[in-house]
Amino acid sequence: MAEVILRQLTKHFGSVEAVEDVTLRIPDGEFLVLLGPSGCGKSTILRLIAGLEDATGGEILIDGELINFKDPTKRNVAMVFQNYALYPHMTVYKNVAFPLETARMARDQIAEAVQQAAEMLEIEALLKRLPEQLSGGQRQRVALARAIVRQPLVFLMDEPLSNLDAQLRLQTRLELMGLHERLGITTIYVTHDQVEAMTMGQRIAVMRHGRIQQMGDPTAVYDVPANTFVATFLGAPPMNLIGGSLVQDNGRVSFRCEGYELVVDPAVAGIEAATLEGAVGDAQLGVRPEHLSLASPDAEGLPGVVRFLEPVGSDLFVSVIVAGHAVQVRMPPETRVSAGSNVRLAFDPARSHIFGADAQNLRS
Amino acid sequence: MAGELTTDPAAPEEVPPPPATSDADAMAARLAEAGRAKRLDDRTRMVLAYVVLTLFVVIAVGPAFYLISPAFRDSVSLFTYPPEWIPNEPTLENYRFLFSNTSYVRWAINTLIFAGSTTLLTLATNTMAGYAFARLRFPGRNLLFFVILATLMVPVAAVLAPTYLTVNTIGDWPIIGNWIDIDTYLGLILPSAVSPLGVFMMRQFIETLPDGLYEAARLDGAGEWRIFTRIVLPLIKPALVVLGIFVFMLTWASYLWPLVAATDNEFRVLTVGIASLKGQFVTDWGILAAASLLTIVPVTIIFLFFQKWFVQASMAGALKQ
Repeated sequence: MAEVILRQLTKHFGSVEAVEDVTLRIPDGEFLVLLGPSGCGKSTILRLIAGLEDATGGEILIDGELINFKDPTKRNVAMVFQNYALYPHMTVYKNVAFPLETARMARDQIAEAVQQAAEMLEIEALLKRLPEQLSGGQRQRVALARAIVRQPLVFLMDEPLSNLDAQLRLQTRLELMGLHERLGITTIYVTHDQVEAMTMGQRIAVMRHGRIQQMGDPTAVYDVPANTFVATFLGAPPMNLIGGSLVQDNGRVSFRCEGYELVVDPAVAGIEAATLEGAVGDAQLGVRPEHLSLASPDAEGLPGVVRFLEPVGSDLFVSVIVAGHAVQVRMPPETRVSAGSNVRLAFDPARSHIFGADAQNLRS
Repeated sequence: MAGELTTDPAAPEEVPPPPATSDADAMAARLAEAGRAKRLDDRTRMVLAYVVLTLFVVIAVGPAFYLISPAFRDSVSLFTYPPEWIPNEPTLENYRFLFSNTSYVRWAINTLIFAGSTTLLTLATNTMAGYAFARLRFPGRNLLFFVILATLMVPVAAVLAPTYLTVNTIGDWPIIGNWIDIDTYLGLILPSAVSPLGVFMMRQFIETLPDGLYEAARLDGAGEWRIFTRIVLPLIKPALVVLGIFVFMLTWASYLWPLVAATDNEFRVLTVGIASLKGQFVTDWGILAAASLLTIVPVTIIFLFFQKWFVQASMAGALKQ
């Protein structure tokens, strides 16, 4: 178990900036999720910590020790790969025992450790099989067993669930959380699946273009996204963004878009007055689909026309065209509305966000 | 108009009625006819393929077959007319002569030592070189690989004299000269202990192994040597077998280098030994045939035994893991 610190970590591949100035502190025992679209540099961070890539700049510390120049064989971190990377010619037992054998552990100790890991992941019955004789989920467990068997300081997981089918993914997700709870090993988990990130991470770091966009506990990141990227990357469907402008009038600042004006009360919106005044100009209003509701055309709210209805069983997603933007509204499934009808979209200003011209959330 | 069909515009489009019995019969007949034509076509094609293949087989294995009959006849009956394909009085006399009056056994042992050690050494050097070229990053890597490949273009005959001179010179050196010289096993074996083709083949093969395996092994604490012996070698087994057989067969049948490097009868190999059976004026073709046949048999058996590995290895790159 260990604390991991990344300080101004940078990695360039030629002219491509894969990781740019990433600073992170992952306390001992934390489960941190790196979340972002493909190519955002999240896997590269894992590979840098593992030592499979050399950093272009910055420091990596595990338990206070600088490990930038330490050989990967000596870093005592374990990694679970997306494709599991099991040794195809070795039985499950041999696969799990391999890291212990390289550590020159005594044979009976190895047997005991493998047995323990196998029990923990319920793969005792598979120990004599070859990887090719296992299903995807079983391979995943073997890869996990191989990672935990030598009790590493840090666990690195590179999209370990992405090759599993939906149901198995859900189950394995819960098991991984249980495993982390039991072992308490510092874990850095990479995924592009926001549901995994939200459900598993004690904290999540949302990444884009090699930089961390926002870091915090999942609910906080979801509730107050730092910028429009985070706002639209988290949530399905994502937060609605409506383009318009902030206008100052008689000492009041209001958000204006086609056919609508919202007076922004700094106290309600959670924005400092100075910030609000400084942001006058182009802006976007952001509201999550679950915070919008359909109201009659003469009520208060954003005016729009219903375009599509998407019943998904538990909810009814209504697509409404507002000022040229398609806005998603989540409604109860029994809602009666038809395509083509004029509606107003009502929402609580306290749950809306204003993003400035630089796409940053004005709410602090 | 009377008798004319009228259609009701509102009526749904008519579905064609099911074919009458006679239609079904006609269809069956048509199908049978088409089937016959296809079978005939297939048969013609097959016959043609067999004719061509047979021709190649005759060219390829004809000479070897030609050995079988004389190997079991005495030399006198070899030149009878009409030629005798199946011996009237098969005899093992040629073999008895071979084992009692020539050094055939010595040559065979020498050949086994020569081919066996060359194969083992080649496998060792080539897998290590292949691994280095496939996995390690070092300055001059591409240039070195290119140089190794370039040696493939140099004909064996061209390097014969330089190799001979090198080995001969080393033979004059103190101590090491006792081991490596013309007419020593090491002098015979070492110059053939690396095969550029083998290095190339091993590099290509090792490169097809997924990167994840190396990375996983490194994180599991394995160093280069351990990765090579525990992960890479077991996974390239088919390639090892193929290269091994290849080198073994080539060395077994090689003639030019052993001819100059092992002149002493004590170190002579089969190919050179058999050639020495040819007299200046009279050649006993029966004995020559018997010796040749005896020499071909072991390699043929080895090849037949391992031939499924050849297919596996050549397929290996084609399928993604």
